Amino acid sequence: MILESIRQAIVTLRLQRLRTFLTMFGVVWGTASVIFLLSWGEGVRQMLESGFTKIGKDMATVWAGQIGENFTPAIDRRYLWFTREDEEAVARRARLATLVGAESELWTVVGFGQRAFTMSVRGVEAANFELRSVSVASGRPISRFDVQHRRRVAVLGVKARDRLLGAEGRVGSTVRIHGNRYEVIGLLERVGTQLWRDSAEIDEQVWIPITTLLAIGPRYGIDDEITDMILFRYPGRHAYDAAKREVRSILAKRLRVSTRDEEAIHVVSAADALKQIPIDDMQGLFLILAVTTLVIGGVGVMNMMLDSVQERRSEIGVRLAVGARRRDVVAQFFLETVAMTGIGGLAGVGLGIAGSLALGSLEVPDVVPIPVLQGWAVATAVGVMTGVGVLAGLVPAWRAARVDPSLILRVE
Amino acid sequence: MTPVVQLEALEKRFSAGRMEVHALRGIDLAIAQGEFVAIMGPSGSGKTTLMEIVGCLSRPSAGTYRFAGRDVSGIDADGLSRLRGEQIGFVFQSFNLLPRLTALENVELPLVYRGISRRERRERAGETLERVGLAERASHRPAQLSGGERQRVAIARALINRPHVILADEPTGNLDTTTGGEIMTLLDELHAEGHTLVIVTHDPLIGDRAPRHLRIRDGRIESDERAA
Ligand SMILES: Nc1ncnc2c1ncn2[C@@H]1O[C@H](COP(=O)(O)OP(=O)(O)OP(=O)(O)O)[C@@H](O)[C@H]1O
Ligand SMILES: [Mg+2]
Repeated sequence: MILESIRQAIVTLRLQRLRTFLTMFGVVWGTASVIFLLSWGEGVRQMLESGFTKIGKDMATVWAGQIGENFTPAIDRRYLWFTREDEEAVARRARLATLVGAESELWTVVGFGQRAFTMSVRGVEAANFELRSVSVASGRPISRFDVQHRRRVAVLGVKARDRLLGAEGRVGSTVRIHGNRYEVIGLLERVGTQLWRDSAEIDEQVWIPITTLLAIGPRYGIDDEITDMILFRYPGRHAYDAAKREVRSILAKRLRVSTRDEEAIHVVSAADALKQIPIDDMQGLFLILAVTTLVIGGVGVMNMMLDSVQERRSEIGVRLAVGARRRDVVAQFFLETVAMTGIGGLAGVGLGIAGSLALGSLEVPDVVPIPVLQGWAVATAVGVMTGVGVLAGLVPAWRAARVDPSLILRVE
Repeated sequence: MTPVVQLEALEKRFSAGRMEVHALRGIDLAIAQGEFVAIMGPSGSGKTTLMEIVGCLSRPSAGTYRFAGRDVSGIDADGLSRLRGEQIGFVFQSFNLLPRLTALENVELPLVYRGISRRERRERAGETLERVGLAERASHRPAQLSGGERQRVAIARALINRPHVILADEPTGNLDTTTGGEIMTLLDELHAEGHTLVIVTHDPLIGDRAPRHLRIRDGRIESDERAA
């Protein structure tokens, strides 16, 4: 019985070649477009996300500022700074700061041979490599001992190396920083375009031990070991706000400012920056486009199916007259539409995946989004297109088979 | 003996929008096994409507219909499908063959829904096609057949289950006189072989070939005559 239905379905599909082709084309195209759109939307999201977190994954930066005007009389709005002791206090006491580092920046002249440029020189601690999620491509990173002993060693970002040493620049070269000679002990791996940065991209920076940097001269005319920023890692985005609160309260107490004073202690991270970007809206847009495509494709397929069933009402009547039960008729149409939309759906999946992979394999700058295949996108596309096709084939057949056969047979 | 078809005070009303059409207004009729009945009457008198009810393609609005002694009002839609497939054969004015199937496959169709194996179906359909003189046309599709040949295929389809009754609504309506005559000869033969036949026709010459004449007007039986 089932086999028979399948056979009849195949005969029908073969004999209605144009319609079958057009319907299938609709399903194929709709499915492929939706897969492609949703994958691309995901690609945009991931591109943004990675662009914003290249500065350091789950890393927040704390800056000291000026006491906010709501917290003190205007005359007493003193400037604040962090020392390395503040950093240590955070490292010791903040449970949600899983990794802590200090960093100071000096824009100064860096030279090699005949070349010299003004560059962002960063005084860092050993922990900063992990905090910034960057490791060395060759040589070694700055160690605790380098920091302890104020060694004149430097690690160069990819672009800093290219400008200064040339593309063949090697570990072991000597560069001049602020008039002193430093040994290049390591080269950072490429980080890529940062959509969020502090004054310079990591690729453009020159890293030296923070103690060495502080020894270059007093900062802001103060002799303490001042650090421009405290970096800390929080345990995932969900914990960011709590971590922020904890770190702020520790530092506020030490600096004797209000914990609510955001001007005095300023905590930012890529999570804050990402919050400003309507990523969800963007994905929403892709989703709307995808849904529109689905609807248009679905309507097309539905039209074909409805037409097909309408044209075949008399066939339904004849079959009912010679002994078919309703469910036999419905099963036949079901199999036909499943075959048609199923094959179309599979082809669409193939096309969508192939298209996404092809685009994904192109060499493009890292701020150009490429499609990232999504299992759920594939499932949704196939599910909806096939569902619409099957429903469109089935519902009218079911309705036709529901009325008295005489009514169907009378229609010419 | 129980009549194959027995109608009592049968009525059929259609509601077409606000209008109600009273197509059959109290039909009493019994058709016995082996009878050959010709139904005649003006257009719109209710002939097709009567055939539809007799063929269980629609249900009466009032009155009772017993098929082979069984009240059909107690049978559900699937049961009626089965009844139609196994005990009733239809021949339509416009042949109503499935254009995508070959002659043989069209004839097989009622067996398909009885779940009969393909081999047996082939065999029986072949024999039945032979009976109506179309053995060589088995693999042709309807579009490749003449009107008379199509109607023979339709008759073979109606015959294949050896039904209790064959219902033919203007079987010669779309055929020329000669071909129509051939079809009538075939139906005569079937009657002679013992089949129960009910045909609707406008053509008095064709009606005269049946031993029993039923005249319908405005949904009522006007006359019911048996030839001597
Ligand atoms: N589904 C329906 N809805 C409304 N009215 C209907 C329906 N089917 C039939 N009728 C009406 O019932 C009446 C009888 O129709 P029927 O088809 O039985 O006539 P007929 O005797 O077969 O005519 P003809 O010789 O032209 O075929 C007609 O007035 C017709 O318009
Ligand atoms: Mg009629």
